[in-house]
Amino acid sequence: MRSRHFPLWTALGVVLVVALLVGSGVWSSSPPTNAQRAAAIEAVIRCPSCEDLSVAVSSAPTAVTVRATVRHLVDQGQSDQQVKDYLAARYGSTIVLDPAISGWSALVWVLPVVGGLVGAAVLVWVLVRRRRRGAGDLDADVRGVTVDPVVLEERRRFLAQSLADADAEYLAGDLSDADYLVLRQRDLARLDALGPATTTMVSGPAVAPTAVATATGTLTPDPTGSTGASATVSEPSTTPRRRGRNKWFLIGSIGCFVAALAVAVPLFSSSRLPGQTATGSVSLSPSQQLARSLDQAAAVENQGQLGQAAQLYQTVLTTHPDNEVALAQLGWLEYRIGRQGSSASLIGDARVKLSRAATLDPGDYAVHLYLGTVLMQLDGDASGAVDQFTRFLASEPPATVVAQAAPVLRQAYTAAGRPLPIGIPTA
Amino acid sequence: MTDVAVPEAAPAPAAPTPPKRHTTRWVGLTVLVVTAGLIAVLATRQPATVSEVQSPLVGQPSPAVGGVTVNGSTFVLPRPPGKFVVVNFFASWCPPCQTEGPELVRFAFQHQQSGDAQMVSVVFEDTTSAARSYQAQLGATWPTLADTRGDLALSFGVRAPPSTFLIAPDGRVVAYLVSSVKAADLNRLIARAEADGA
Repeated sequence: MRSRHFPLWTALGVVLVVALLVGSGVWSSSPPTNAQRAAAIEAVIRCPSCEDLSVAVSSAPTAVTVRATVRHLVDQGQSDQQVKDYLAARYGSTIVLDPAISGWSALVWVLPVVGGLVGAAVLVWVLVRRRRRGAGDLDADVRGVTVDPVVLEERRRFLAQSLADADAEYLAGDLSDADYLVLRQRDLARLDALGPATTTMVSGPAVAPTAVATATGTLTPDPTGSTGASATVSEPSTTPRRRGRNKWFLIGSIGCFVAALAVAVPLFSSSRLPGQTATGSVSLSPSQQLARSLDQAAAVENQGQLGQAAQLYQTVLTTHPDNEVALAQLGWLEYRIGRQGSSASLIGDARVKLSRAATLDPGDYAVHLYLGTVLMQLDGDASGAVDQFTRFLASEPPATVVAQAAPVLRQAYTAAGRPLPIGIPTA
Repeated sequence: MTDVAVPEAAPAPAAPTPPKRHTTRWVGLTVLVVTAGLIAVLATRQPATVSEVQSPLVGQPSPAVGGVTVNGSTFVLPRPPGKFVVVNFFASWCPPCQTEGPELVRFAFQHQQSGDAQMVSVVFEDTTSAARSYQAQLGATWPTLADTRGDLALSFGVRAPPSTFLIAPDGRVVAYLVSSVKAADLNRLIARAEADGA
């Protein structure tokens, strides 16, 4: 019986559905942080000036502005929907990459589901119709309704094929003895009722050995492959549901699986956030998340929003307290902000962070540049500054950075009475 | 059952006539209906030469217009402005902006005496220095806001330059145009807004 495969299908379906649920992160219920929420919103906001990218992955100036606005609104305590509404009120609803489930855009969501359901319904209908039509036509043949020789011949061929199929299924173990016997009897009876072949040939079962029933009801192989109407078992009153039950089991299990998918995917995929495990989306690895956070902070810093950039670096440090890039950049920002506001405590924090960053990664040119600048500008310690700048230059910094740092380098080397290294442009 | 040999010369009986389905007729009719619908839709739209487009801001109070200009001074548009204001987002690198530049100068000149309309330019994705020299070369004497962080562009929902907004004296946005505009377009939109009671 084919139904013995049913548990296999069911188990496969259950495993897949459970894997989907686990992967979708439905059981991880920790509330998202503001940064996670902002990142989730940014992932579904279209970059205004580049159309087919989200602002999360675009570096266009408009995308940078939108990202900063999203973070600002999230920090203000606005809900995801309020943030999206805020942007949609300016750019229109197309700024959101997920179409709204209202109005005409709802068709985008509804049509695939309707199409899938209609397709499944048509498939089932066709299968059922095919089965019924086959049975109905055969019964009509038995009653002698059809007399068209072409049609009769076609049905003879059909019955012969049906017998061959039954043989093959029986040999494959898909049919029980009793079912096989009954089917065979039925088809043979129908074949006989059609009368002798006239216009073409009717093939016997292609698969040998076939089996015929003995008087005791057991089956024995028929080495001749004969399909003569010599069977001794009378046709029972009920026709066995040949293959049908198995097919319905299969259709049912597939249908259940598809239904579970259809419910689970939209239900759980909507609440996932970047960084969480998810199905159907690329989630960033921790190192990618870190790189992305640092990029965002650097972008905000380049825009001149020092306070916001400092907050972003601080966020990185809460998860990666020993990240030397975040330490160096935050230290440098604290120094700049502290110097603007003459805050001794901020500058003190800055020194600690910069020193720690230099310890963690002595090869980072930026931290030596920052430390040297602090020593020169704040302490007037020219020799200490030169010491740091020498390490800075030894770390092979990019030429643009050297050019930018040239004034403070010249100042330090001159004050320390040391010759200016080669490659530093003179004033 | 044994195979039955069949003489090849057996006459084939006539196939039964299938019911007529009129497939061609239905396909033709569908194509006709779709084409007619398309023609109807296209015929009732505005011609493509008119660059006025929809924006959620149209009919709403204008976002605040103000900030540092490319010359370093500060400009803030009063709310309501009390006259028509054309807010034009541009970039020096954008060819359609270069096309419409002289038209904007013409528009500003036309309304300079009457004082019933004013121009404000906003730099979009361009450096302040490039925008400043571009405006100087054009002869633009109206305020040009630097918008270095793109806040104005965001508050107006600007996606690409040039983008032009017409603000009514009562402070409502009455039109949003993309691509190059002409002085005549702007005057026509002002006349329309006045007719609508702006």
